Amino acid sequence: MSELQAAMETTPQQRGLRKAATVWRKVDLPSWMPYVYVLVLAVVIYVFEPRLITGPGAIDIRFGLVVPLALVAFGQSLAIFTRGIDLSIGGVISLTTALLATHLNSTSRTFWLELLAVVAIGVAIGSLNGLLIAVTSMQPFIVTLATWLIWGGVAFAVMPIEGGTPSSTLVDGVFGAFADIPKSVWLIALLFALWIWLRRTRFMVDVLAIGSDEARARLTGVPLVTRKVQVYAISGGLAALAGIWLTGTNAQGSPTSGNQFILWSVAAVVLGGTSIFGGKGSIASALVGAITFLLIPDLVFALGLQSFWSIFLQGTILVLAVTSNSLLQKRSIR
Amino acid sequence: MSTAIVEGFRRNATIALAFGLAGLLFVIGTVHSSEFASANHIKNVLVAASFVGLVGFGQTLCILTGGIDLSIPSTVAGGAVLTGYLADQDASRLLWIVPLLLGLGLVVGLINGVGVAYAGVPPIIMTLGMGGALQGLLLIYTNGGRASSPPPELVDFVNGKTFGLSNQILVWAGVTVFASVLLTWTTLGRKLYAIGTNRTAAYLAGVSVRRVLVVPYVVSAIGGALTGVLLFGYLGQAFVNMGDDYLFSSAVAVAVGGASILGGNGHYIGTVAGAIVLTLIAGLLPLFSLGTAALQISYGVILLATVFFAGIRLTRKPG
Repeated sequence: MSELQAAMETTPQQRGLRKAATVWRKVDLPSWMPYVYVLVLAVVIYVFEPRLITGPGAIDIRFGLVVPLALVAFGQSLAIFTRGIDLSIGGVISLTTALLATHLNSTSRTFWLELLAVVAIGVAIGSLNGLLIAVTSMQPFIVTLATWLIWGGVAFAVMPIEGGTPSSTLVDGVFGAFADIPKSVWLIALLFALWIWLRRTRFMVDVLAIGSDEARARLTGVPLVTRKVQVYAISGGLAALAGIWLTGTNAQGSPTSGNQFILWSVAAVVLGGTSIFGGKGSIASALVGAITFLLIPDLVFALGLQSFWSIFLQGTILVLAVTSNSLLQKRSIR
Repeated sequence: MSTAIVEGFRRNATIALAFGLAGLLFVIGTVHSSEFASANHIKNVLVAASFVGLVGFGQTLCILTGGIDLSIPSTVAGGAVLTGYLADQDASRLLWIVPLLLGLGLVVGLINGVGVAYAGVPPIIMTLGMGGALQGLLLIYTNGGRASSPPPELVDFVNGKTFGLSNQILVWAGVTVFASVLLTWTTLGRKLYAIGTNRTAAYLAGVSVRRVLVVPYVVSAIGGALTGVLLFGYLGQAFVNMGDDYLFSSAVAVAVGGASILGGNGHYIGTVAGAIVLTLIAGLLPLFSLGTAALQISYGVILLATVFFAGIRLTRKPG
């Protein structure tokens, strides 16, 4: 009791100091790191090979590659915020590109309906993941690993080898500019805007609550099943959008096109300083993390190294970034 | 005491489930084609399963402690490609290549393990990044990461027999015995389970958590590199993506074998069953003229089904 009284009898000055300390502690250094990485990378690339940044179409090409990763990193962030993970996006992207390259290649009025159907498939797959995770006691890692295998298998059934001819409307549609700014840049800006809106919603509060302490979140009335289904449904829908974009830029489909995005999306989220243990993080940082990750091959090119170096550097930078983050946030033995 | 027996039964029940599944698949195969039960075919299945089984040893230890090793594809490919690159068909060079790979595996495992145990990096990210870095290094060093023609003696060893039993199966049997003794009868084994069950409790009970936590990653990296050497002899060629199949199949084998991905639960015997189940499925599907699509789908379904049933058993646990 006396301790409590002592704690209450503080001078305004002490309270001010404590408040400043709290504010400083609340500055989440890891989530600001990707901005530093992007700046450093961009400057280095600019110094060695300016046309990679300022050359004709350079921004268009860069952001065209970033779009699918940014889309899946958005969904992956939500899954990781709930202390989960979504590996099934690999299957969803593969299935989407396979479908678009084989069955849905009309340029007619049904074009938009077909795209909508593909996104609906992604949302349905995601919802199923969410249901399995929320209702059974199975781990998100296991559930989405299994559904990745299953939907990746379905993609193989739809289209055994890469190729196909996607709709020319789609292929033409992903390139070019709108109001003199590349469409890809608009899309990424839209994702940033979406996050700025989303972070203030009830949905986001619930999602982070689930990630930091699920049992407590349930006691405070967070609708666990609904929220988890929503999170994985969004992730599935965004993965389908990523597949649509990828089919357009590659002008073909592939039953394995999605697999690399599983690891890349986790890397983007982690480079964004989000803890894989859930409960906090910023999707804006994950989007910047996605840009960082895909700038590395350009860095390797600018430095005149063999392309193999980008695989090495992507791995090494991921390890260094995550190690420094976890040392920054270090807790005791746990 | 009685809880220990119940716990033991529960663990064995999930392993029995995995072996039951393997038996069922075997019966289906035999009914469909009498060749399936021939001694030669059984040998082929076991040899094919042994590679997942061998990398599954380290993976089992990692998963037991609540971690995972996603750098296995790179250590496997590294072991194979480096052997091809350095040996140049000369088997006598294996005498220093194998110790070299042991050393490299130790270094890789230590980096993974220290990152996970001391820096507190999530295993999934640590090993993923490490795998990428290794793959890049391998490509840079060997300029493309390809090697053909293993030393003939290596091929002979992998495909050969001792006392009428396939060498490869004998190696796997040896690892199985070693792993079982390690997990069941040694203090290190008990410590691994303790850490996986409750890290804080293990720490309070006097387990030097960090030091023990490094071990699974070292075992996994060394195991991956040596499995790569054998796989090189088996396939007759090495390339940088040759280990990619083991990225998740090793984890699937462990999970099908009844281990909880959260740690603290499972046994290498289960992983052996899991590896056999995966290989039997891969062997069965062509009999029904089903290909890659069906293979992936059935792996997914099997994974969901076994983990679901194991989960039912676990959630009924009182308290």
